[in-house]
Amino acid sequence: MEQLTTSLAPPRANPKPSVTNASQQVAGSVAKRLTNELMTLMMSSSPGISAFPKSDGNLFEWVGTIEGPAETIYAGLSFRISISFPANYPYVAPTIKFDTPCFHPNVDINSGAICLDILQDKWSAVYSVQTILLSLQSLLGEPNNASPLNTDAAAIWDTPDAFKMQLLKHYRPLKDSA
Amino acid sequence: MAGDALRAQVTARWQEGFTRLNRAEPGISGLIAYSEAWNIATDFLRPRDISDPSDAPDLATVKAAFDLINRSRRLPVMLETYLDAICNQFHLIIQDIDRYLAEYEQSGDTAVVLQLVFRLVMWYRAWAPIEELGPTIRAAYTLTFQTRLFSILPPAFVRGFKALCASTLVPTAQHAPTMWEAFEVLGMTDRYEGIIASVGYERIEQYVRETCAGKWDTPCLEALRAWMTGQIVPWMLPMYAKGALNTEDARGMLQNVGSRFDFHMNKTLCDLRTSEIFDIIIDFPDSSGALQDLKECLQRVDQRAMLVQALRKANRKRLLHPGADTKLILSQYVATIRCLRIVDPPGVLLFKVADPIRRYLRERPDTIRSIVANLVGDDDSGDSLVDENEPIQPLQQLEIDDYNDPNWDPEPIDAGPDFRTNKPSDVISTLVSIYDSKDLFVKELQVLLAQRLLAITDENFEKVEKERRNIEILKIRFGEAALQVCEVMLKDMTDSKRIDSHVQSQKASILHPTIISRHFWPSLESSDIVMPGQFQALQNEYAKEFSTFKPDKRLRWLSHLGTVHLELQLQDRVVEADVPPLEAAFIELFSEKNIWTMDELIDGVGAVDRPAALRALITWIDLGVIKEDEVNTFRLLEVAEEAAPSSRIASVAVEEPMMSAAQQQLADQMRLYWKFIEGMLTNLGTLPLDRIQTMLRFAPGYDQTIEQLAGFMEAARREGLVVVRDGMWKLNR
Repeated sequence: MEQLTTSLAPPRANPKPSVTNASQQVAGSVAKRLTNELMTLMMSSSPGISAFPKSDGNLFEWVGTIEGPAETIYAGLSFRISISFPANYPYVAPTIKFDTPCFHPNVDINSGAICLDILQDKWSAVYSVQTILLSLQSLLGEPNNASPLNTDAAAIWDTPDAFKMQLLKHYRPLKDSA
Repeated sequence: MAGDALRAQVTARWQEGFTRLNRAEPGISGLIAYSEAWNIATDFLRPRDISDPSDAPDLATVKAAFDLINRSRRLPVMLETYLDAICNQFHLIIQDIDRYLAEYEQSGDTAVVLQLVFRLVMWYRAWAPIEELGPTIRAAYTLTFQTRLFSILPPAFVRGFKALCASTLVPTAQHAPTMWEAFEVLGMTDRYEGIIASVGYERIEQYVRETCAGKWDTPCLEALRAWMTGQIVPWMLPMYAKGALNTEDARGMLQNVGSRFDFHMNKTLCDLRTSEIFDIIIDFPDSSGALQDLKECLQRVDQRAMLVQALRKANRKRLLHPGADTKLILSQYVATIRCLRIVDPPGVLLFKVADPIRRYLRERPDTIRSIVANLVGDDDSGDSLVDENEPIQPLQQLEIDDYNDPNWDPEPIDAGPDFRTNKPSDVISTLVSIYDSKDLFVKELQVLLAQRLLAITDENFEKVEKERRNIEILKIRFGEAALQVCEVMLKDMTDSKRIDSHVQSQKASILHPTIISRHFWPSLESSDIVMPGQFQALQNEYAKEFSTFKPDKRLRWLSHLGTVHLELQLQDRVVEADVPPLEAAFIELFSEKNIWTMDELIDGVGAVDRPAALRALITWIDLGVIKEDEVNTFRLLEVAEEAAPSSRIASVAVEEPMMSAAQQQLADQMRLYWKFIEGMLTNLGTLPLDRIQTMLRFAPGYDQTIEQLAGFMEAARREGLVVVRDGMWKLNR
């Protein structure tokens, strides 16, 4: 009986050592890819987007900054996002959310979760941090109101004055410390 | 009771001794005869002063006496008494020695020493026992005599002895055979073998130094060997091959000592060449003889470490210091490569010697430039590093050991752990390998080529062909791909020529631009000067013609490059000059009005820094065309004036060359690091310096210390890019 319950128990949290080794190897190649992406991102001077690993020990957690594109309602605002890469990146999309509250039809105002097709079902390994950041930047100016995550925001998108008021009510400017 | 026993024993002994001495003669007559014999014998044997003549004893009587003693078995005692007597009489010899040596000390004549030796032989002979006593007694005598003799010979004698031996090295020495005999008799050859050998060694050293020092053009070793055979071997013969019956015998006896002498000769020559090695390398290839010698000597004498040490020391002292020109260091390095390859083909010596040179060269800023300049044959002195006969080969990359190589040799025994066999690689490969990559060279090559191409004017356009030939040769070395950019640059030159002739055919112009493809040329020093007046008109006209010819392209003038041929028509004279564009621009401005201030002039040509402007104006002042009336105000001299002593004598900085490739690379790298710093500060807000340092780990090839980073950040702060508060850095925005 006891055997039965143990077999039914959820798999142990700690994977076997051999699995760890394999995943470490994979992590090595992922780390290499991420290093390259960082290098490309640093060298390309795309205005208004930027990202960097949170700490020198962990290449899988990044912090990003997106400036609202000019001539949109978000112009002049900067948003901080967090990017978390899975161990099997780039086969699986990174998890991205807004840390700065962002009043936007496709962004959850509380959790910061983003509804963007390339981060979900349309993800492809050819995308990179840079393309994600660029997509997010353009998403700010051109929301997809057809599948809103924040229905309030989607509802008042067409009235810029009201939208701006809501946006600024939630927005908090970036602080210096990470 | 014990006393009785003792008494009995003594009596028995006494009786026995008596019987032996009395030999059963009646009464004590035997005993008397014995004492007589003893007296005769000791008197005969007693060492006498040889200066006193004495009558020859009657040999028959003496013999009979010895016989009697022998029969009484008293010979050992006799011998002891005799040897004691010798010791007692030795003061006679000491007197003689002192006398001779005093004379020698005074005159310094080795003949005196020789006389002393002969005198000693006389003493020895005079005191020697007669043959009839048998070899045992003779040997005992010789031993005692020699021991005694050597114990009293003062140091002065050893000096004299050495001098005497040395004097026999002169081939005219007559007395040599008898002298060696005398030495032999006295046991001096064995006793003073070391001294005699050292005489030989010293002679060899002296001779090698005399004949070979500074004589590097032909190998000396052959001649030295001949000299050894002719001079030293005959000298050695009486000593080391004594008693040799025939040449075969003598050769066998000499073999051991001969090889010692030969070794010494090699060692001496090796020492000499080692001390001269730096100059030998300078003299290369006129010193190949010396190098051959050195090679042979090193095989015999293991002094490779010493050679390395000597050369490294000489290099440090004479070559690797700020006073030496980079070109000089390079050519000495190349000569070192060639020389040490002769001495040690596997290259271990070279590797050890070259290491400090290479490290030093890497620190010099103009090393690459010098090498590249030499590659393209920049210096016309003809003193090329590259041997023209050496075939041009592609650069060799570091090879990993080929395990299938049937000719593989293990590394030489004295090779260090990081030794790399540089198989017969050519000099250029070796030079290029001073740096980790050849990219630096390719970049520098581009810069240099750009300079040279831009200096080409219509009159010497054929030089382009020369450059092309150079590049073709360099392609073999560096590979086609690496020099593609150079190829484009050369193509630009010919294209310019073609475009120019087309434009000229449409609308003749005195302007002949070189049209370059910006992306493929090294960053040229930029300048914002705008040519005034007629120059601008010319440029615009040309540009218009060009854009009709090539509609999709646009000319951007680099007005500050090139030369202008001017003819200035002034009231009283015509001045002709070939000047840089800035000078031309200024003088063009003077055609508008005669007096200009410095600031007006600078405004007139757009933007130019003051030193450059001043330099341009001084050119005209020197030509007597304008004059600085008061500070910063210039007047055109329509009528020539007496040249006033110029108040500003060319206090002008030398023209700065375009950024060297190494500097450029460093700047590129710092730009890359800055991007990373900017990235992390944007996203992570404020960071302390050590955090920035650890985060820069993400930047490829980051190798700066935290001190260097601090300096860099400080520079960025001065430029207003970042601010720092309480040790926390943040972007300034």
